[in-house]
Amino acid sequence: MQTTIPKLDTDKSLDSVSLWSVTRKRLFRRKSAIFGMTILGILIVIALTAHWLAPYDPTKSMLDIKGYPTSVEKRQPPCIHAFGCPADQPQHILGLDGVIRDEFSRLLYGARLSLVIGLATVTFAIVIGTVLGSLAGYFGGWVDNAIMRVMDVLLAFPSLLLAIAIVTVLGPGLINALLAIGIVSIPAYARVVRGSVLSIRETDYVSATRSLGGNTYEILFKRILPNALTPLIVQGTLGIATAILDSAALSFLGLGAQPPTPEWGAMLGAERNQVFTAPHLVFYPGLAIMLTVLAFNLLGDGLRDALDPRLAHVS
Amino acid sequence: MKRNLLHVLSLLVLASMLLAACGPAATEAPAATEAPAAPFEAMKVEAPSCDYGGGMKSIEAVDQYTVKFTLCAPDPAVPAKVAFSSLGIQPSEYLESTGGTGELLEHPIGTGPYMIETWERGNQIVFTRNDNYWGEPAKSKTLVFRWGTESAQRLLELQSGSVDGIDNVGPDDFDTVKNDANLKLFPRQALNVMYIGMTNTFAPFDNELVRQAFAQAVDRQRIVDRFYPPGSEVASHFTPCAIPNGCAGESWYDFNVDAAKALLEQAGYGASNPFPTIKLHYRDVVRGYLPDPSVVAQDIQAQLKENLGVTVEIDVMESGAFIDAANSGSLDGLWLLGWGADFPDVVNFLDAHFSAAAFDSFGKPFADITDNLAQGAQLADEAAREPFYEAANNAIKLHVPMIPVAHGGNAAAYKATVEGAHASPLSTEIFAVMGIPGQDTFVWMQNAEPISLYCADETDGESLRACEQVTEPLLSYAIGGTATETGGVAESYESSADLTEWTFHLRQGVTFHDGSALDANDVVMSYVVQWDAANPLHKGNTGAFEYWTYLFGQFLNAPQ
Repeated sequence: MQTTIPKLDTDKSLDSVSLWSVTRKRLFRRKSAIFGMTILGILIVIALTAHWLAPYDPTKSMLDIKGYPTSVEKRQPPCIHAFGCPADQPQHILGLDGVIRDEFSRLLYGARLSLVIGLATVTFAIVIGTVLGSLAGYFGGWVDNAIMRVMDVLLAFPSLLLAIAIVTVLGPGLINALLAIGIVSIPAYARVVRGSVLSIRETDYVSATRSLGGNTYEILFKRILPNALTPLIVQGTLGIATAILDSAALSFLGLGAQPPTPEWGAMLGAERNQVFTAPHLVFYPGLAIMLTVLAFNLLGDGLRDALDPRLAHVS
Repeated sequence: MKRNLLHVLSLLVLASMLLAACGPAATEAPAATEAPAAPFEAMKVEAPSCDYGGGMKSIEAVDQYTVKFTLCAPDPAVPAKVAFSSLGIQPSEYLESTGGTGELLEHPIGTGPYMIETWERGNQIVFTRNDNYWGEPAKSKTLVFRWGTESAQRLLELQSGSVDGIDNVGPDDFDTVKNDANLKLFPRQALNVMYIGMTNTFAPFDNELVRQAFAQAVDRQRIVDRFYPPGSEVASHFTPCAIPNGCAGESWYDFNVDAAKALLEQAGYGASNPFPTIKLHYRDVVRGYLPDPSVVAQDIQAQLKENLGVTVEIDVMESGAFIDAANSGSLDGLWLLGWGADFPDVVNFLDAHFSAAAFDSFGKPFADITDNLAQGAQLADEAAREPFYEAANNAIKLHVPMIPVAHGGNAAAYKATVEGAHASPLSTEIFAVMGIPGQDTFVWMQNAEPISLYCADETDGESLRACEQVTEPLLSYAIGGTATETGGVAESYESSADLTEWTFHLRQGVTFHDGSALDANDVVMSYVVQWDAANPLHKGNTGAFEYWTYLFGQFLNAPQ
């Protein structure tokens, strides 16, 4: 006799809603999150197409461009033809900087750099933080103690000061600055993951897997971690904003990106003395940093609310 | 239980108060030294021979008001040198009582128009008028020195009226100051030089062809035109032309990219052997010779990329570490530094950098430069010196130890109501002659805080300027000028015909701020503690006494 077990079509037969579709729905209901995502979308497009959008090489002085008018002055204010700047003068939407480079081109390339900085440092911190946090949470005991006390020590220092100390040891430079910011943000992720792992470890489905003979790897990486992801996403999104801000601060102090790299913090730092004589050189990089950080913060806040099951009926 | 705790606490408080009361009084004014009743015992310090390598043979007090210097070789620049602020005269008793350091670094005692009242570290220095000054008393009762590294901040303070004068107006703010009826700009003559150093002990700059190539690959005119304030000029020679014999010899190379490329090829660099990535070191410190360091560094970086295809990495260093590394010749690649005139003689520029006794900044010295400098320094007549400085300048052009870039114009700014306002080309502003009618206090804001106020052992212009208000050397420079005058503690001087013996006659009746009288022994002592490395008072702040070696060569009893 042959019997066939009817196959369950879980997707269609059950009226289930996935976490992601709920989150998306809730996220799009929040105006501030939409605003954040819009800015972020624009930034991503700019970052991807900076080499097409930028009218000039961001590291090249106008003096090195053949046929460029020799009357050019450093720190020229913006010249926009549509707003009455004489047509015989080359157009510079945001003016020229102290080394006679096109500020607009530098700002566009800076978007690319800032996004890469934010994503790279947070990815680095999340990977290490997750591994440490999950080990601490899952095994407990002396493993937990050893890892979390080191994290406590890291947290005891003001993060920017610690980053400055690390860069001072490693030497100034963009990569070292990224490493420093990555290191100082590890504890935040380790804590979040440890907390989630601690609570999920005790749930029934984990006990079930354990009683079915699942090994540590399976339990930790297939059962626990996927369910600990939600707070990590929120923390990560907000963390990108902090990372961008910290790297701008390091570059402002001359410890991050080195000239002629078009990094917003470095641009701001280089022209800080010209705040009254050439305000455009301080205003636009500052505005760019502010908007980017704002976008990530709004998105992070939105995600937190959208992913929080306790707020399910609020919206 | 609680009562017991209270008792213990109050006992502890009482005990600590008692301890504090029994301790030594925190502030005790240095006791005025009584004029010695004993007859004047003249001091004399003499080198056993001139073999020790320095320029000074002996320093002696001939009588109570006469000092005589005997030199190992003729030196026509002695009057200009003894007017320099590192040679301010302090009481010998005070030098001895401080042990040559400690209190001396904070509280110099001089004969000048101002004396130190307080130095609040990190905040300000307050000077008060010396009412017993031998000359014209200071116009303002109180003088305050403040500092701020950002030019925008200094200008803002001047505009808002919280300070009366500021140093180093930002290059972009010249017009702002000129267009403001309440302010007045005082440009300084460009008596300085900014150069791109190359240490010849590091590859690839150990190759003279490479150095010559770089000398022609940088468009210096473009740097001066775009990044220097009005009043600046491209350096045709290391020494500014305003200094006699500064511009003897050929002018610097013209900007010529093709010649530079050909030289690099000749040196063996090309498609098969690309030029290595080099570093450009500098400190982010604004000086009259380098008003916008990072911008100039980035333009040189861009020019070398464009003109020679050479990749330059910028390395911003901490100021003190940078100067140490530059002086010891340990900077590889290129580096940006400059020099401001201390006294208006060509030796102040050339000998301080390229003589045999100079620092090893540029690596190994070149005999055809050092020989000519040694001979030129011994002559008094500028016409007779000319052939030697012509040869030295031509040799500098040939060997390219560095690329002279610019003589930077810079300026101080004052409120328009300030009487006696001036800017000195040597950066030695004298505030005793400045004042605003009806105002008791005059506030000056400069770039940075002085390091110490014992200027025999300081080289930093911010420290020297503070000392100049308090201590006086034998002679002085004209206010706002460079000529040597008898405005110091000596009222006259003469030299022997061969320029090896110099005699200075001191003013009589001059008193120090502590009330003691000035005599020739104070002068001898103030000099000897700098000259004699074995003197127990040869301590200072770091013990380097760099300006003594600039001025008179090797120390007596220098450690081997």
